[in-house]
Amino acid sequence: MSETHIQIDNVNAYYSGHPALKNISVKIPKKQITAIIGPSGCGKSTLLKCMNRLIDLTDGITYSGKILIDNEDIFDRKTDIINIRKKMGLLAQKPTPLPMSIYENIAYGPRIHGIKKKADLDTIVEKYLTLVGLWEEVKDRLNSPASQLSVGQQQRLCLARGLAVEPEIILCDEPTSALDPISSQHIEQQLLKLKNEYTIVIVTHNIHQAMRLADYVIHLYLGEMVEHGPADEVFENPKDERTRAYINGTFLADVKIDKVIDTKGNQCPYNFVYAKQALHSLEKGQTLKMIVDDPTAVTEVPRGMEADGHVVLSVKQKNITDWEIVIKKKG
Amino acid sequence: MELRRVEESVFRVLMILSLLIVVGSLLAVIGTILWKGLPVLSIDMITKTAEGGYFLGKGGGILNAIVGSLYLAAGGTVLAFFLSIGIAFYLQKEYSGGTKLSNLTRLSLDILWGTPSIVYGAFGFTVMMYFHMRASLLGGIIILAFLELPIMTRAMEEVLKTVPRELKEVSYSLGATRLETTLRVVSKQALPGLMTGVLIAFGRGIGDAASILFTAGYTDRIPTSLFDATASLPLAIFFQLGTPSPQVQQKAYASAVILLVIVLAISITTRFLSRKYTKYIIK
Repeated sequence: MSETHIQIDNVNAYYSGHPALKNISVKIPKKQITAIIGPSGCGKSTLLKCMNRLIDLTDGITYSGKILIDNEDIFDRKTDIINIRKKMGLLAQKPTPLPMSIYENIAYGPRIHGIKKKADLDTIVEKYLTLVGLWEEVKDRLNSPASQLSVGQQQRLCLARGLAVEPEIILCDEPTSALDPISSQHIEQQLLKLKNEYTIVIVTHNIHQAMRLADYVIHLYLGEMVEHGPADEVFENPKDERTRAYINGTFLADVKIDKVIDTKGNQCPYNFVYAKQALHSLEKGQTLKMIVDDPTAVTEVPRGMEADGHVVLSVKQKNITDWEIVIKKKG
Repeated sequence: MELRRVEESVFRVLMILSLLIVVGSLLAVIGTILWKGLPVLSIDMITKTAEGGYFLGKGGGILNAIVGSLYLAAGGTVLAFFLSIGIAFYLQKEYSGGTKLSNLTRLSLDILWGTPSIVYGAFGFTVMMYFHMRASLLGGIIILAFLELPIMTRAMEEVLKTVPRELKEVSYSLGATRLETTLRVVSKQALPGLMTGVLIAFGRGIGDAASILFTAGYTDRIPTSLFDATASLPLAIFFQLGTPSPQVQQKAYASAVILLVIVLAISITTRFLSRKYTKYIIK
């Protein structure tokens, strides 16, 4: 394994007392792509936001542990978080251009870090827009509002903006989930190109994307790190049952489903009860598939079943409203 | 099924009725003022100060009140702006962390908002008496600033709240400090809303009579220093309507037209200016 860039040590995080991350310890390798995978609500984004302490902006959050970047503990209150953040570019889920022109979006970072000369800024803007393949498309309208770009272009602009402060690390929070397939591909290609120079951490719930990009994989599940390791090992031979189920489940369940219940149209406590009844009627180790359309159920039912000791194999969105939860009875 | 449809129509009629009442009253107010005021409105009204015996129906105009009102409201708004912008930014969660102090501030502002302006006037008068000050432009400006402060602050605070958190996150993630984020990103995104807040407060300030009655006084001259007493449009209207002379009473409506035009002109100019800056806003 290559050199460690970010060392996460015993990190716990709580949202108003509710655990979101439990005892996470992992080393993120330098100049590689590390993918954090896992179902919705498992703490992926929380972990990512811990790394640049944007987590501080969240209400009711408490955290403990250590995150060492270049031997500096970023959880230490004495650490100058402004300079730490400068080391890390962030690519958010939704492209978020700043309320300025295309040019100013790129120049914003360098400018607050002290570059004032127009000629220098011009060079930086051209360099990073070229790097993300946007220069040719926008060079004639650098002064028009960034909000006029297409969503895909906006995301590339955001990438360029993050790179312009010359970070060492790029943090990506589901960077392609709002994009069309072609724009997504564009971003993925950029990331693959950038990994020679940067350490990249990407949160994704798209297992295919993780497979295409990742050198190292961390699988989070309900706030717990169930598996981590080099990508080929984790994907080819997952050690943890839940990882295996997550990876398989995302393709095609070769899990045999013993019972299917449809609780669409039911609110949360009810689909919870139906799931319990259905599991009760099954033999040990048999599998239940349930369809839900209540957003609360999507996170709460797996949590509850997990608390009862059953194993939740997959939580997957089927279409706009429906989710599929696969649960294996304990035993 | 039928009943539900009837319900639907009844409520729709009620809604249209409320709308008509609002629009109707506005039109009635403007209509009355224009109808009674326009015929009396003359060039003299806006180019001359009150001449001797003005309130007995003799010549002159209300230039002293127009200029006085602009001085008062502009001064009050500028003063209130510098206080409000600080408070409004502080009330944001990143600065105050939603503490008791910020809740207390909000409560105070709401109470101040509801305080009748004559109370402000009486308070200002008491303070000025204590310091042996006479009614002056400065006194009027300060008291108007306090009158406008809660309106402006609360309006600004609401606007700042609507700035998406992602925008701030982006700025922080690029290594910006809170101040840089506030000044370069948040205020840019919120600019049109902030301007509206200022405008609403200005409207309240220029239209208020009771608070400046004792603090700014009334005079026939245009003030030449901050310590001179000054006339104002709302008080001009008040005094004109209060005279026995029908000629002067009519002029009150002309004054109202002038006040209305000033408020409209400033509102339109601000909107026009803010449009220049809104094109970068992220929707």
